[in-house]
Amino acid sequence: MSMQAREEILGRLKSVRKNTPAARPAKPVLSEINLDKEQLLQRFTSELNAQTGAVYQAKDKEDAVRILSEIASAEGLKSILATSGHIYGVDIRAFGSQNNISVSTVQDFSDRNAFRELAFAVDAGITSADFAVAETGTLGVIFYKDQPRLVSIAPPVHIAIVPVDKLYPVYENVIEQVFKDTNKIPSQFCFITGPSSTTDIKGVHFKGMHGPVKIFVIFIMTGGIGHENSDGPGKTMVR
Amino acid sequence: MHSRVDQFMETAREEMNNERTQMFLKLFCSGFSMMRQFALSSFPDPEAAESYSRSIRAEVLERLPELLEEFEKKAISRGVKVIWARDAAEANNIILDIARQKGVQYVTKGKSMITEEIGLNEHLIKNGVDVYETDLGEVITQQLGLPPFHLVGPAINVPPEKISDIFLKNGILKEPTTDPVALGKAARMYLREKFRTQEMGIVGVNMAVAETGSFINVENEGNIRMNKSSPKTLVAIMSLEKLVPTLADAIHMTRILIRNCTGQKMTSYVSFDTGPKKPDELDGPEDVYVVILDNGRSEIYKDLKVRDILKCIRCGACMNTCPVYARIGGYPYGFTYTGPMGQAINPLLWGIENTTDLYRACTLCGSCRKTCPAGVDHPFLFLEYRSREIRKKNAKGNRTLLSRLENTIAAISSFGMRQGRAWILGVRCVRPLLNFLSKDGYIRDIPFGVQGWFGCRDLTAMPDKTFHERWKDLQNEPVPLADTAKKDVI
Repeated sequence: MSMQAREEILGRLKSVRKNTPAARPAKPVLSEINLDKEQLLQRFTSELNAQTGAVYQAKDKEDAVRILSEIASAEGLKSILATSGHIYGVDIRAFGSQNNISVSTVQDFSDRNAFRELAFAVDAGITSADFAVAETGTLGVIFYKDQPRLVSIAPPVHIAIVPVDKLYPVYENVIEQVFKDTNKIPSQFCFITGPSSTTDIKGVHFKGMHGPVKIFVIFIMTGGIGHENSDGPGKTMVR
Repeated sequence: MHSRVDQFMETAREEMNNERTQMFLKLFCSGFSMMRQFALSSFPDPEAAESYSRSIRAEVLERLPELLEEFEKKAISRGVKVIWARDAAEANNIILDIARQKGVQYVTKGKSMITEEIGLNEHLIKNGVDVYETDLGEVITQQLGLPPFHLVGPAINVPPEKISDIFLKNGILKEPTTDPVALGKAARMYLREKFRTQEMGIVGVNMAVAETGSFINVENEGNIRMNKSSPKTLVAIMSLEKLVPTLADAIHMTRILIRNCTGQKMTSYVSFDTGPKKPDELDGPEDVYVVILDNGRSEIYKDLKVRDILKCIRCGACMNTCPVYARIGGYPYGFTYTGPMGQAINPLLWGIENTTDLYRACTLCGSCRKTCPAGVDHPFLFLEYRSREIRKKNAKGNRTLLSRLENTIAAISSFGMRQGRAWILGVRCVRPLLNFLSKDGYIRDIPFGVQGWFGCRDLTAMPDKTFHERWKDLQNEPVPLADTAKKDVI
């Protein structure tokens, strides 16, 4: 039935005489690609702050554990689900034991339902982020075996750890890298900008509709900013 | 969704007398427009950005069949099951069959206008599959049985007292409250249970990328991400014009869509799905179905004069700027699509002859066209629908006394406009006749079946002389000479 429908629909569409599409105007310029290292970090921070997200700069992995402890104490976290015991070298289990927090990691699970139950039960999810985008204070997350989707959406608090060399000016820089190898396109990729939110009742805005109520981003500051240290894939495609 | 497009006038009158609606619209429309302008100003060159998005949509329309085939091929190669549906009934049955095959008791849904268009909820519920809307606004409209008030905030006008009552009645809320945040949190807790145990999710599609076979969803609440993460089965349904050629185009359109839709620079989540989860992944759908729905669009595509409506990206910016929407709100449009976008698409879905009030409720001010980031010329479409309706009414065998009268007047006017002397003569005769009906300098009504025109406007009385007559008189008057005694007179 679907094949017949397909043929009918496409047949109707193809029966229309096709014109050559008009030439496109020049691609709009994006000002963010001219920002330097400090400006990128400032821009990311101010954009995410505007969405009530908090941004921290950890000098190194140990400092990241200290920041995690601060967040855990302020938020009263008792249980967390992390994508790994070590996220970009940050020892999540050590952080858990130092703060008397129950830590589960994705590697503890082979059963989908058990994993899902826990993702909805914990106080916070700690994930890595594959990219950060200064344009709007956005994280870019590739979902795969060690980065399941629910860790960053089901718990009420999302903490993301990202090396500062993963910070790029605009979305195009990221998308090109995620989709460049057609054999490795992830089943899902997501841009995350702040906690979940809504304005659906009387236009009153509040955070934490279905996803996290709060989001914290910890930059590991060892290393430079990504687009300066790499060949700058985005620079060729973004005007 | 059940259509109430035939009750446009009646509902519009009710809404114009509804104090709450009026108060709300005053704040809402201007507020949204200001937020949109502010968000657009974050582009170094907002006009260039919108011009580029219009060119993308124009190209999509020209290349639609090839882009659809490319998307299908790439999506299938990624493991997506692509199913084509000719109409609402077919799409509804396809999704019902999937739910039955998977043996699910209920499905959860992300906000999707296309599923409202085809009445998916009603179909699934009628056939024993429960449906839970998960977007907060949709939860409220579903429970209250209301049509959408606005594309972005379908229940944004509903009083919290009413929401509290229905949430109490349906067990979502334990204690009454009128606090919007408390109401939202109650819905959160209620729906988390559904997300935690769901087996099948249904979402719409903001964009489908031909280059990669990916589909993209843009949202703030996180309900779509839940629907795309928690269950084993995911159904994404899209109308066939939702394509973009490349990922780069998708990124640009995402920036444009968000700024025009919610006045933000970026929403909380923009998710790109390319196939089902990999075997070693702990969550995400094992089966992904993409239903490509026609529902009349391929016929619209063949109609070159009106097919530009398929450029629409459902951002809703047109309604926030529309002076008619700003007076009547979303209910009178009587269907999923409201504002100028609804006035443009509903007649093509429900028939031009059945929706006359919709496309006539327009001042042709052109604000929607100016605002539209996709390049839809709404006023042109409204004029085309009006013209088609009249031509149909005037076709042989359909003529009524009124249409005969209109035809006669049009024929006389047409003759007069082509014959200068006849026109001047005609005007000379008609003027005193019209002025005979005037009072205090205004004509408020005339007989012969045109009372409707005077329902909301008056005509100023005609001056005694025509321009030609005054001009002739002026030629005979002496030209005042400059006073040479005054130095400043040139």
